[in-house]
Parts: sequence; C-alpha cells; structure tokens
Amino acid sequence: MRIGTVIGRVTLSVRSPRYAGERLLLTLPWKRETLSGEAKFDPAIVVYDELGANAGQQIAISEGREAACPFPKPTPVDAYCAALIDEITYKSEL
Amino acid sequence: MRIATIRGQVTSTVKHPSFAGQRLLIAVPESPDVAPQIVLDNLGAGIGQRVMISSDGSEARKMAGDESSPARWTVCGIIDPEVAP
Repeated sequence: MRIGTVIGRVTLSVRSPRYAGERLLLTLPWKRETLSGEAKFDPAIVVYDELGANAGQQIAISEGREAACPFPKPTPVDAYCAALIDEITYKSEL
Repeated sequence: MRIATIRGQVTSTVKHPSFAGQRLLIAVPESPDVAPQIVLDNLGAGIGQRVMISSDGSEARKMAGDESSPARWTVCGIIDPEVAP
C-alpha cells in the first residue's frame, strides 16, 4: 500500500451499477522524497473510500487486484482506501 | 519480491477491520524508482532492518486472516546482516 494525501473528491452522476454509496477521493500518492518532507508526489489517482477520509487526510492506498477484495461482487476498483493514518513514524537514515 | 529497508511505521484507528492488531511498517524499496510501501509484518522486523517484501496478496490475506482484506504487501523475511569475509 502506498501512502497518499487526499486533496479532493470526485462525484459521478452516471456510473457503474456495481458502485454503491461510494466516496471517490482525489489523492496524491507519496514518493520516497515525500517521507523526508519534500512536496513531491506521484501523479494523482482516484481512490474508492468507505472510511470517510477528507481533504488533507493521509491514507493507506491498496492497489491492484487486492483493491477489489473488500467487495462481495466483482467491482471495477483498482485503488481502495484501506486505512486513515493517524501518525507516521519515520527515520530517514540511521 | 523486493529488497527494502524498514524506515518507520504508521498507526491508524479507522481502518479496514482485517488490519486490527496488525503491525503496519513503512518499507522503502532499494530501487530508487519504487514508492515506499506500507507492509504487514508478523516476523518482528525493526526500523533500520533490511527485509524482503512480497506483493503476493493471497499471502497477505492469509496473514490478515480475512479473505476480503485489501492487504497486498507483506514482510516475508529479514535479510541477514552482511559479515566481513
């Protein structure tokens, strides 16, 4: 899972019938430079959220096939908000 | 599988239920182009240790004990420290 910072929401009026009650977060995934405090991010992605993250929140983004595992039926999701991060402990070099 | 160094950990209250009680560590892969990953660990890897991480989601779901878990990356080994020849 990558770490990401939520910067906004996406809303869809016309959407896949497999989506139900979704929140879609526009999210900047972190690069390694982000961990040491630089404002560098990977290109923004849309993340499916069931936990209620808001703009500015750090989240854990599950990607790939595993992103669809929480759904009982096949759902077109390849990025899923798996956790809202409270605190990050990071040591760059020892 | 990738070689990575454990550089930290994250704490989370609101999370997928399968992550309850799991250690969530930050692994920075040695390939410079790969982003840091949050990994599940049940081997006791510590900050600063080099580990091997795997993106096998099937193994991650077993570790989380929940077939609906979105977990993907796990620590599958702690690399032995280099010894002088």
